[in-house]
Amino acid sequence: MNEKRHMGIKASRALSNTIIHILLVIISIIWLIPFVCILLQSFRVESTWQVGYVIPQQWGLDNYAAIFKSDFTHWYLNTFIIALVNAVLQTVIVLCMSYTLSRFRFKIRGALMRFMLILGMFPGMLTMIILYRVLKDLGMTEANAVPGLILVYVASSGMGYYVSKGFFDTIPKSLDEAARVDGATRFQVLTKIILPLAKPIVIYTILTAFMAPWGDFVFARYISFGNPFGMNVAVGMYNWLNKDMINSCYTMFCAGGVIVALPVTILFMCLQRYYVEGVTGGAVKG
Amino acid sequence: MKQYSDLEFLRLSKWEKFRYKLLCFFAAIPRALKNAGIGIGRFFKNAVLGIGREFKDLWLTFREGDWKTKTSYLVMGFGCLARGQILRGLMFLLFEIVFIFYMIVAGGYWISMLPSLGKTGPGEVYNAVLDTYSYEYNDNSFKILLYGVLTIFFIVAFIYTWRANIKQNRVAEQILRSGKKLKSGKDDLRSLVDDQFHKTLLALPLTGILIFTVLPIIFMILVAFTNYDGSHDGYINSLFTWQGLENFRTMLVWKGAGGRSYSATFGEILTWTLIWAFFATFTNYFLGMFVAMMINKKGIRVKKLWRTILILTIAIPQFISLLYVSKMFAKNGIVNGLLLDLGWIDQAIDFWGSTAHNGLTARVLVIVINIWIGIPYLMLIATGILMNIPQDLYESARIDGANPWQQFRKITLPYMLFITGPYLLTQFTGNMNNFNVIYLLTGGAPTNAAASWASGNVGYTDLLITWLFKITTGEDAKYYLASVVGILVFVVVAVISLIVYNVLPSIKNEEDFQ
Amino acid sequence: MKKLLAMLLALALVLSLAACGGGKTETAKTGSDDSLAGTYDIKVWVAEAAVDLTKKQIDDFNASNSDGIKFNATIQPVGESDIATQIITDVEAAGDIYIFAQDQFARLIQAGAIAKLGQGAAQIVKDNSTPESVAAVTLNNELYGYPVTADNGYFMYYDKSVIPEEDVDSLEKIIADCEKANKYFAMELQSSAWYLAGFFFATGCVSEWTLDDTGMATALKDTFDSPEGLIAAKGMKKLLDSPMHLSSSAASEFASGAAVVVCGTWAYNDIKAILGDNLGATDLPSFNVDGKDYHIGSFNGFKLMGVKPQTDAKKQAALHKLAQFLTDETRQLERFNELAWGPANTVAQKDPAVSSNAGQIAINAQAPYATPQGQISGAWWNIAKVIGDEVKDAKDDAGIQAALDNYKAKCDALIGVGGFVFVGAWNGWDNADMTHKLEESGGVYAITLEVEQSDYMGGRIVAATTWDTDHGAAQVTTGADLIDVEAGGGDNNIVFKAPGNYTVKWTESSNTIEIVKN
Repeated sequence: MNEKRHMGIKASRALSNTIIHILLVIISIIWLIPFVCILLQSFRVESTWQVGYVIPQQWGLDNYAAIFKSDFTHWYLNTFIIALVNAVLQTVIVLCMSYTLSRFRFKIRGALMRFMLILGMFPGMLTMIILYRVLKDLGMTEANAVPGLILVYVASSGMGYYVSKGFFDTIPKSLDEAARVDGATRFQVLTKIILPLAKPIVIYTILTAFMAPWGDFVFARYISFGNPFGMNVAVGMYNWLNKDMINSCYTMFCAGGVIVALPVTILFMCLQRYYVEGVTGGAVKG
Repeated sequence: MKQYSDLEFLRLSKWEKFRYKLLCFFAAIPRALKNAGIGIGRFFKNAVLGIGREFKDLWLTFREGDWKTKTSYLVMGFGCLARGQILRGLMFLLFEIVFIFYMIVAGGYWISMLPSLGKTGPGEVYNAVLDTYSYEYNDNSFKILLYGVLTIFFIVAFIYTWRANIKQNRVAEQILRSGKKLKSGKDDLRSLVDDQFHKTLLALPLTGILIFTVLPIIFMILVAFTNYDGSHDGYINSLFTWQGLENFRTMLVWKGAGGRSYSATFGEILTWTLIWAFFATFTNYFLGMFVAMMINKKGIRVKKLWRTILILTIAIPQFISLLYVSKMFAKNGIVNGLLLDLGWIDQAIDFWGSTAHNGLTARVLVIVINIWIGIPYLMLIATGILMNIPQDLYESARIDGANPWQQFRKITLPYMLFITGPYLLTQFTGNMNNFNVIYLLTGGAPTNAAASWASGNVGYTDLLITWLFKITTGEDAKYYLASVVGILVFVVVAVISLIVYNVLPSIKNEEDFQ
Repeated sequence: MKKLLAMLLALALVLSLAACGGGKTETAKTGSDDSLAGTYDIKVWVAEAAVDLTKKQIDDFNASNSDGIKFNATIQPVGESDIATQIITDVEAAGDIYIFAQDQFARLIQAGAIAKLGQGAAQIVKDNSTPESVAAVTLNNELYGYPVTADNGYFMYYDKSVIPEEDVDSLEKIIADCEKANKYFAMELQSSAWYLAGFFFATGCVSEWTLDDTGMATALKDTFDSPEGLIAAKGMKKLLDSPMHLSSSAASEFASGAAVVVCGTWAYNDIKAILGDNLGATDLPSFNVDGKDYHIGSFNGFKLMGVKPQTDAKKQAALHKLAQFLTDETRQLERFNELAWGPANTVAQKDPAVSSNAGQIAINAQAPYATPQGQISGAWWNIAKVIGDEVKDAKDDAGIQAALDNYKAKCDALIGVGGFVFVGAWNGWDNADMTHKLEESGGVYAITLEVEQSDYMGGRIVAATTWDTDHGAAQVTTGADLIDVEAGGGDNNIVFKAPGNYTVKWTESSNTIEIVKN
C-alpha cells in the first residue's frame, strides 16, 4: 500500500517533470525565434530588403563586410567607449551614493531620499531638450556627442541608487562598528571591509551601466543631431530603417544587430550569477 | 464607515482587510488635507521665525564681533584668514570673487531679462549690394530662462555661503574665547575622509543630479507657463514669453472643434496607460514567478541552459529585438504567413492596424510581447527569492498534506508578495513610463481618430509618455503642452505611489527600502 | 564643512556658466565691399543616397565659380521627409543647405529655418523652372527655395504575372485579382495624407490653403466633406475593406507578398530588382461608384533646396550662389543620371534620357490626373491622415460623412474659423467667408455691412462654415422697419428693403438682432 503510493508519487512527479520539460522547450523556442531569424537574415545575400521568408536562399558574409565599410565601425567604437567609461564612472557614483545613504545618518538624509524619490516621478523625456541645449553650449553635441553622452549618463546616475543601497543594507552594520573601534577611518571601512563584501552589487552595477548605452536611441539621437561621427550604434542603425534606406540596409541592420548583441550577451552570460545575486540582494532585500 | 478594532481587523478575510484599508485611506483624506494645511502653515510660521532668528543672529554677531568679524560681512573669509584658517578663508574669498565677477559679466543680464524672457526678437535685413536677405538674432528666450534659473541657483548658494561665513566667525570667536585651538586646514581635509566622509561621497553625485536632473526638471516645469513651441523657439523665429496658467486652462478646460477636448484625450490615454501598467506588471510578475518555479523544480535538467536562453531578451538591446518582433507581426509578416500556411486563419490579421474594439488586437499584443521582454527579469529575481524560502516550511506543509497548489498559495505567494511589494510598485510606475516597448513595437498605432482631435495623431496603444514624445516632435512641437502633460503625469504617478504606500502594509514596514 | 559642499556646488555651477559666456551673439558683418571671395565652413543635409554626388558637385562649384568662393562642406545624410522635424529641434545647428520634400515647406517657414531669395536669385528660379515648381517655393509673392526635382508624385507599380494588362485601369478588377491570387495591394492610406488625397482629387475635391508670411494658415477652401468627397471616400473604402489591402508604400512589399505598390519614381530601381521583367508601372486606376468611373488622382510634388538664414550677409549670398549651382540644368541632369531624380529644370526635363525613362513615363501618364501640391498648412498632413482609418471603421455612408465632417471641422479650427458669419447675396452665400464674420465683444456680435442693389438683398446670421444656427428676421427687435419680412418668408431671412450701409448687432444671450442704417 505504502509502496504503491510512493510509486504513484514518483510516477506523477516524473509525469509533471516531463510536462515541464516540454513547456520549457516550447518557451525556449518562442524566446529564440526572433533572434534566430535576425541571425539568419544577417547571412542573406540574394537581396537586401525585407522578404517574406526566413531561411536565406544564398548564404554569405556580404552584410558583415558591408557594415564594416559603413560608418558602423565609428558608431560601434563610440558606443564601446561610452559603455566602458560609463561603466566605471557610474559605478563609482552609484556606490558613493548608495553606501552613504545606507551607512550614514545625517540631518538631511531622509529629506534627500524623499526628494530623489519625487524627482524620479517626473517623466525624463522632456528634459532631453534642455540637456541638449546645455551640452550644445558646452560644445558636446554632434561630432563631440560621446563625452556629452557620458557626462549626462554619469551625472544623472546618482538617482539609481536604490538597488545597491538595498544590498548595502543587508551587510551587517556591526562590521563597520568593529572596524571603527579598531581605529579605522570611514574611508578605510569602505575600502577594506565593505567593498570586498559588495562584489555582486559592484558587478551588477558595472554590468547594467555597461549595457544601457547600447540601447539608447532617443536621447543619443538628439545629441548627435544627424552627425554620423557622434552617433552610437542604436541611432545609426535606427536610421537604416528609414524609408529611404530600409531597402538597401535591412539585412545590414540584422548583421549589425548580431554584432551589437554579441559582446553584451557574452558578458551577461559570464556574469549572470552576480547579476542575480545583486538584483535579489538589492532590489528586494532577500 | 465601520471602524474595526485591531482584533476585529485581524479576523477579517484578506479581501475585507484590503477593502477596509482602502476605505480608511480615502476616509483619511480630509484629515490628511487638514493636517497638510496645518503642516504648511506651521512650515511658513517656522520659516518666518527662522528667518527672524537668522537676522537676529546676524545682528548679534555684528554687534558683539570684533573687527575681523565685521570685515567678514563685506569680505568673505576675512575672519578665517585673520585667525589663521588659511584654507577656509581662501575658499570663501575665492567664492565671493567668482560670484561678483559672474554677476557682473553675465548673471545680472540673465536675471534682468527673466521677467520678460527677452525684448528684441529676430529681424530680417535686405542687403541691396549683394541682393540678399540676411538675418539678425537678438535675445534668446531659451537661454534667458535656462541661465536665469541657474543664476538664481547660484545666488541662493551665495547667500547660503555668506551666511555660513558669518556663522563661522561667531563660532571661531567663541572657541578662541574659551581658550581652545581652531581647526587647521589639515584637520578640515582629514575630516573629509572620516567623520564628514558622507559629504565627500555625496558632493559629486549630488552636483551631477543638481545640474543634470533638478535644473532640467525646474526648466521643464517653467516651460509649462510659457508659449515655447516650434514657431516660438525664443531665438530664430520669435521669442517666447510667460503665459501664466493659460496652458493648463487649454489642457483641462478648452474644448476643441467637435467638442473634443485635451482633457478627454488625456483621460482616454491615462486609462489605457493604467490598464497597460497593471497588466504589464502582473502578467510578468506571475508568469515570471511561474517560469522560475518550473526551472528550479527538483529533477529539471540543464537549468542553466533554460535561464541563459531566457535572458537573451535582457542582453540584446531592445531596439533590435523589438523592432524585429514588430515587423514579424506586420500584416504581411512571418507570423501571419505561418498562420496562413497552417490554415489556422484564412486572411491575414492586421495586428497593428485594426481599430476594432479600440485597437484591442494591438493592445493585447503589446502586453503579450511585453511578457516576452519582462519574464526574464522576474525569473532572475524570483529565482533568488525562491531559494531563500526556508525549505522546512514546505516540509511541514507536505506533512500536513498540502498539495503543490496549496503550498504555492500559502507559502510561496505570500512570501514573494511580501518581499517584492516595493519592487512591484516601481515596476508599475516604470511600466506607466515604458517608452521603449510601445514606441518600438507600434509607435502608438492603430490611430485613435477621436482622440487625435485635440493634438495630432494619437493611437490606441499610446501611453502618456509616448504621447508626450509625439507632442514634442509633432508638426508644431508644442513643448509647452508637453510640459503640462509631463506635470500631469507626475501628479498621477505621485498619487498612485502615495495610495500604494499607504494601503500596502508590507511596503510601509519596509521603511528602509524606498 | 557644509561650506565646502556648498562651495563645490557653486564652483561646478560657475564652471558650467563660464563655458556659456554672455548672452549676446556676434553681430552680422556688413560692408560696402561686395566681393564674396573667401572660405566658408558649411553643413549640407541631403538624403543618404545623394551624399557622394553632392560632395562631388560642391567640389565642382569650388573649382569653377568665378567669385573666389570656396566651401568647406560637411555633408550629412538626413532624410528629405525628416528635415523639418530635425530642424525644429534646433535651427542653429541645422544644415546651411538642405534638400527637403515639399510637404515640409510650411513648417520650415514657421520655424524660421529657410531664407528668402533676393530678386536676382528669384528671377533665375522663375526663368529656369516649371511654373508648378516655382509655385511650390512661392509664398505671398516671395520665393524661399530652389526646385530640385519635379517628380515627387506617385503612381502604380504592379506585378504583371498577377495583374493582367487589361485590368490595370480598374481598381475593382485589381482588387479582385489580388484577392484571387492572395497577393497584397499596398497603398499607404492609413498613415499618409499624401496618398489618400489622391482619391479625393479623383472626384474634383480641393484643399487649397492660404498661408501668411510666418507659415500660419489664414484661409482655406476645402471640399473633402462635399458630396464628391463622400464618393471619393466610398471608392477608398473599397480598397480599405479588402483583406488584401496593405497600408504601406515600401518597394520591398513586392518581396513579401504584394502585387501592387503605389509609390513614386524613387522606388523604380529597387522594384526592378525584385520583379525583373514582371515589373509594370502605369498611372493609377479608376474606381467606380454608382456606375460612374473616377480616375484616382495624385499629388504632384517637388523636392526643394533651402538655404538656412545666416547672420553673415556674405555667407548668405555665397550659399545662394551654391544653391543656384546645385539646382542648375547640369546638376539636375547629373542627379537624374545617378539617382533617377526627375529634374524640375525646364531644359533638363526635355533631355531625351529623361523623357524615355520608365519611371518618368509612368509619372507622366499620371500627370493629367495629378494636382500640383501647393502651399499646405503643416498641420494638415496629420489631420487628413486620420481619414483612412475613420473611413475604414465607418459602417455606412453616414459614418463616412461624419468622418469627413470631423476632418473639415479640424481644418477649420486650424485657421480659427468660428464665431458667426452674416451670409447673403453680399458674399455669395459663403458661410466660410471670414470677411463677413461678426466681431465679438462680450456676447454681442456686430458687423457693418455694405449692401448693394440686387434682386434679392437678403441673408442671415449662421455659425461659421455651417448652416446650423439660424438667426434671422424673426429675431429682429430694433430696425424691423428696414427689412422686408414678407420677402424673407419661410427661410427667416433678413431682407433689406433698400441698399446702403447697415450695422447689424446680435446679442447671444437674448438672441435679439438690432439693425441700424448708417
